[in-house]
Amino acid sequence: MDDLLQEFISETQETLEALAGEVVAWEADPSDSDRLDAIFRFFHTVKGSCGFLNLPRFERLSHAAEDVLAEIRAGNRLADPATVSAVLGLMDRIGELAEAVAVGAALPSENDDYLIAALVARPEANAIHPETAAAPVAARQAAQAGPRTIRLPLSLIDQLMNGVSDMVLARNELSRKLRERTADPELDNVFERLSTCVADMRDVISKTRMQRVDRLFAAIPRMVRDLGRELGKQIDLNLEGGDVEMDREMVEMVVDPLTHIVRNSIDHGIETPEQRRAAGKPESGKLRLEARQSGNQIVIAISDDGAGIDTARLVDKAVAAGRLTPDAAARMSEEDRLNLIFHPGLSTAAQVTAISGRGVGMDVVRANVERIGGVIALDNHPGQGLCITLRVPLTLTIIPGLIVRAGGLHFAIPRSAVVEILHDNNDTLQISEVGGAKIATIRQVRHSMVDLEDVLGMTRPAQSTPRAIMVVRSATGVPFAMGVSAVDNHEELVIRPASPLVMASGVYAGMTLPDNGKPMLLLDAAGLANAAKLPNILDDRAARQAEEQAGAQTGVEMVAALRFEELSGEKRLLILSLIERVEDIDASLFGRSGGRAFVRLDGRLVPVVNGLSDFDRDKVSALRLRDDVREACYPVAAVLDIVQMPMVPDMVAMHGLLSGVAVIDGEHLEVINPFALFAALPQDDLVESARGRCLLADAQDGWTREILAPLLRQAGHEVVLGLPADALLDPRDVLLCTGVDTMQAAGMVADLTGCRVVQLRASPRAAGPSDMSIYRYDQDALMAAIAGGQG
Amino acid sequence: MEKLYLLATLAGTRIAVEAGEVEAVVKLTEISPVPGMGAHVAGLSALRSRVLTVIDVAALVRGVASPQEQRGLAIIANISGHSYGLMVDTVSDICRVPEGELPLRGQIDAAWAPYARALIEHEGQPWLLVSLAGFIEGGALAQAA
Repeated sequence: MDDLLQEFISETQETLEALAGEVVAWEADPSDSDRLDAIFRFFHTVKGSCGFLNLPRFERLSHAAEDVLAEIRAGNRLADPATVSAVLGLMDRIGELAEAVAVGAALPSENDDYLIAALVARPEANAIHPETAAAPVAARQAAQAGPRTIRLPLSLIDQLMNGVSDMVLARNELSRKLRERTADPELDNVFERLSTCVADMRDVISKTRMQRVDRLFAAIPRMVRDLGRELGKQIDLNLEGGDVEMDREMVEMVVDPLTHIVRNSIDHGIETPEQRRAAGKPESGKLRLEARQSGNQIVIAISDDGAGIDTARLVDKAVAAGRLTPDAAARMSEEDRLNLIFHPGLSTAAQVTAISGRGVGMDVVRANVERIGGVIALDNHPGQGLCITLRVPLTLTIIPGLIVRAGGLHFAIPRSAVVEILHDNNDTLQISEVGGAKIATIRQVRHSMVDLEDVLGMTRPAQSTPRAIMVVRSATGVPFAMGVSAVDNHEELVIRPASPLVMASGVYAGMTLPDNGKPMLLLDAAGLANAAKLPNILDDRAARQAEEQAGAQTGVEMVAALRFEELSGEKRLLILSLIERVEDIDASLFGRSGGRAFVRLDGRLVPVVNGLSDFDRDKVSALRLRDDVREACYPVAAVLDIVQMPMVPDMVAMHGLLSGVAVIDGEHLEVINPFALFAALPQDDLVESARGRCLLADAQDGWTREILAPLLRQAGHEVVLGLPADALLDPRDVLLCTGVDTMQAAGMVADLTGCRVVQLRASPRAAGPSDMSIYRYDQDALMAAIAGGQG
Repeated sequence: MEKLYLLATLAGTRIAVEAGEVEAVVKLTEISPVPGMGAHVAGLSALRSRVLTVIDVAALVRGVASPQEQRGLAIIANISGHSYGLMVDTVSDICRVPEGELPLRGQIDAAWAPYARALIEHEGQPWLLVSLAGFIEGGALAQAA
């Protein structure tokens, strides 16, 4: 009877887990009768079994659920959200009861009636407006029948695994013994066959540890649905890759971090429908969970199209919490800012909600993921969503490791904890000792250094070969340098837990039994750092930042500058950040207009800062400059190189185009003052379309056509022959006329549109004091008149 | 029901262990030391594919590690899911004790006090009844922590 009961309980619990997702999917698509049948079947089975096992409460609950579902099946009732909630509530209660029965505890029964009442009640409103109250969650899950399975006790599988491990060891020993004897091909053949069988067996057995990721995902749809309803958000959930398999223990370890991330994503990431509408997104947010296998890792990506992480707010919080100085914050890269989310006690949640934002958050998630050798990565698109990727090893038990030797013993250390390995005679490495502390400086970076023998209290035997220095980084700490006798090997290690006695030392993470039959200990990088009492992360970071600041104050601040040769031959410097790019421009693209030099680039006119427009070569090297709004072009003879120049020139001149002189490599170079450079630019943009046209009223006149028009065109003006028929004139246009009769017509047009008229005369002398016309060969006056009209 | 006891000597003292606690008695071959631990952790030893944590019980009780050459026999026990080997000097017998457990008499050595549970009588000699789990959980872990 006990066995039967136990069987019933575990079966019920398992089905419940799988069914929660089904119910949510069914809510999204109430017409899906297959799912309805599956749920109905569950309650029916429970009802049947508990009648037999004499569990009246189970029976009552499942009976009520069955009734309602039957009604829905018959089409007499609608699967509205309230009903689904009630069904889920019943399922929860059955789960609780099963738990209680399993441990033999009592559970108060008064809530059962309430649950059943909630299920049976049929609020009419729901029947009329089924959509209004709900925030439905559509979960798309491949509704496929899982493979047939049987239930086995875990201890049996562990026994099996141990047996196979023993077999592998026995085979190894046999192989050693066989090698010592004279070769016998027949025996070798048989042994080979045995070897293959054993290897196959080991592979298969290790698969019994595997579990489909489906199990990991099983609770997600329900959670998303409940949270979505609670927060009034609409979420379109998409689960993919449920058939990927991973280690059973790994699944257990990933459940919590995953749940946390999904909660965060719904609470903080995905906005309310109103906010989403305002942001121009579809009302229902997308949440996508995807699992896939990549090499010996499982990659789980959780992406949403919500608001992403507001890094600015994160920085503000960190500064407000005193974890960061504003200076340090300003120097941080976007990635560093984003990583602040992993600091304990920081949350972008504006307020603490029941769901998340209590500051117990991503730091714990990261710690959990890293403890199992995983990595967590963020891909943040502010305003558009966030994608969090978890990479965890396929199994907990096999990790790539390095075998190191110290004090005559071998130790293993996870490959992932080792950043680099150097020999202590390497030039880039310098080991110094001060006050008993060892410091390894590797390429200008100072690391705390310990010798593994010292940490473990072993004597260090003398050795003739150089010692190996490993830069070790634990999941949470700062990297440190660790000296060992040698790094011997790189192997895939089967890690098993060490006894609590050994673990209590804090420096070991487990043990492994290599083929030679000598047990080996796996070192714990973080534990070693603790045992050696190395400065921990925050102290070190603060110290490093203080160091940086001190360096900045005493040293001269340098900026990158471009060294170039002017067309006039001087060598000068210009701050590099101002230069957008350097390019060779056809000399013919340079021109002058209204006394200013310009160059035609990409269909725009760009001012030339040093006013040059005539060059003795076809191609001119030019610096394309840009301040925040305007651009300019700086033709030069040659671009030399990029140098570091002091922020403040050695000799300062506050006026003019040059801000001073800097000495670079013993050479005195004039430094261009970017302020003066842009200040000297014309106020108006030299945008072609904004310039007025030159309208030549006397289109029939030979001189106008053959001499005036080409001159104007050459000067860069747009020339129109004759008055436009539609009289579409811009006030900036300039009318040029030569004849007296056209002058009158032009005058009328000018009065109408407000454009300027320039009258030309054939005679060099003015007809009288009131004669405002210009001698037609007086080019300067003519250009000035046209330019004036544009002023 | 009469219980089975394993009789052994350990640090010169006659001890008895309930046979239910004992998985096997093996001759230790190679022990890989675990540096950074107290003397009572002799090291790790492989027993087929299992790895034993070998406890030098004499060191635990007396505080003096057994000399290398005296390391011979170990009682294998599974204590809270982990395999341990507890080093003993000799193992003499496994027997039933009709009288059962007797209360402790006399003034027991302070070193033994934490581990001694009772006495049993066999062939006219008193044997100190100890619990293997007591060595690990009571003594070794406390010292390690």
